[in-house]
Amino acid sequence: MRWGLLAAALVASPVAAGVVYSAAAATGLAGFDPRGFSTDRLSRVLGEPAVWESLAWTVRTASLATLLASALAVLVAMTFRRGRGVDRLARTLAVLPLPVPHLVAATTAVLLLAQSGLLSRLGFAAGWLAGPADMPPLVYDRGGLGLVLTLTWKELPFLALVATTLLATRGAALEETARGLGAGPWDTFRLVTWPLLWRGLLPSIVAVFAFAAGSYEAAAMLAPSDPLALPLLTLERYTDPDLARRGDAFVLVLVGLMLTGAAVGLHEWVRYRTTELPG
Amino acid sequence: MSSVLRAGRTAGLLCLGLSALLPMLLLAIWSVGDSWFYPALWPSRLTAESWRALLSGEGRLWAAAVTSMLLAAGTGAMACIVALPVGRALARLDGWRRHLGAALTFLPVAAPPVALATGLQFSFLSLGLGGRPIGVLLAHAVPAVAYVSLYFTGVFAGFDARVEEEARSLGASAGQTFWFITLPLLRRPLAEGFALGFLISWSQMPLTLLIGGGAVRTLPIEVFAFVEAGQDRIAATGALVLLVPALVALAAARLAASRTEVAAV
Repeated sequence: MRWGLLAAALVASPVAAGVVYSAAAATGLAGFDPRGFSTDRLSRVLGEPAVWESLAWTVRTASLATLLASALAVLVAMTFRRGRGVDRLARTLAVLPLPVPHLVAATTAVLLLAQSGLLSRLGFAAGWLAGPADMPPLVYDRGGLGLVLTLTWKELPFLALVATTLLATRGAALEETARGLGAGPWDTFRLVTWPLLWRGLLPSIVAVFAFAAGSYEAAAMLAPSDPLALPLLTLERYTDPDLARRGDAFVLVLVGLMLTGAAVGLHEWVRYRTTELPG
Repeated sequence: MSSVLRAGRTAGLLCLGLSALLPMLLLAIWSVGDSWFYPALWPSRLTAESWRALLSGEGRLWAAAVTSMLLAAGTGAMACIVALPVGRALARLDGWRRHLGAALTFLPVAAPPVALATGLQFSFLSLGLGGRPIGVLLAHAVPAVAYVSLYFTGVFAGFDARVEEEARSLGASAGQTFWFITLPLLRRPLAEGFALGFLISWSQMPLTLLIGGGAVRTLPIEVFAFVEAGQDRIAATGALVLLVPALVALAAARLAASRTEVAAV
């Protein structure tokens, strides 16, 4: 019994070490220029508007991508839920990009969405665009639409897999029971299918949000330089030629880890609520 | 009503097909497209130069692919060896302890790779592991061990330990039980755990960047550099190579799943 928690602590220990070290470096006890304990750096970095803009931009982009991917996953799972034929093919296609690395997705997105990319060329060929400058900027744009689309594409397969599995393993029997008890199609969906889907999907949605918010490669290739996404801002400070500014990265590491910690905490709390408590 | 529904289904199927296959097709064209300038929809010349360079072992892609392959195989093996006992111990927990254990194990999976890398870099440097493949391997193992542990927790939740008890009661030693009973029963989960660890290392970038310090050139590092340099053809070639293990793993998983279905029928 005790071994289990010890083993889990061992697996988590590199993160714990990273948190402890970052906290020490953020307060002047370690890092590039340790000068004794002080909260100056913490208050200075957390007082920068750029840091909060970066956090807000990252949360917004990751939330938007997660929301879009979740909605599409539910749509795919509901539309193609029969056992054979077209439905099976559609589900296979939806899950196919699952193991594609973020970097490959981002590379393709650049080639496709950039202002001289294939989409822009198609627009030119069709006579809608007069040149690359006419193409709405999707790469490096402030709105981050290119990044949102790429992250959505990257997250959809996982969420679609979870949603289709939920419907296949638990949905059918529960729905049949509801219909047997006299529920119409709408009530069956409202009272059985929908709660099953969102409850079952929520842990995966939270996990996917954490991945999207922390993803470095896709942001580095597609995100704007102002505001900088949180992972990019962290690395920019960490490699700053000015040693004093380098230490700022540790405060940003703590901010990023707190965002993840909040997501994981929520994740386990939801799981606890949905599996351990009755009703 | 049903014709609208059918049209919607057809459109959905088409979209899914495009979304799954178009990126690969585009990368394939890009990897052989020569002097392909705006607004041309098709490259003016085709060349297999980047593929020839890759296969003849010249250029940076081949060396990077070998480095990535070795690191990924090492990470996969290490993840399995560590995660097997961890997953087993985690599966024995119950109630709030199970959720606390899962949350702790989930941390390295969910932690932003950049945060993980910056947090680890100082200790790795002071241990003399920075800029060396062994350091990068250990860094890749951090999220990989966590992922595979979570996977093995699921496996052991449905594992019947009575087979082992029976072997022990018939006089087998602990070692014999492990080698002749447990290990053969876990052949498929171990293969899947290895593939999972392999893929995590294979597609990893921030940890390689910071712990490797630019000295360990893996395939993602090189592809990223080629995209940044505007070398689309070589970048696309590298991106396609990055896809190969992912597709092999997916195909193997589908094959194994369809075999199980056949066996179940």
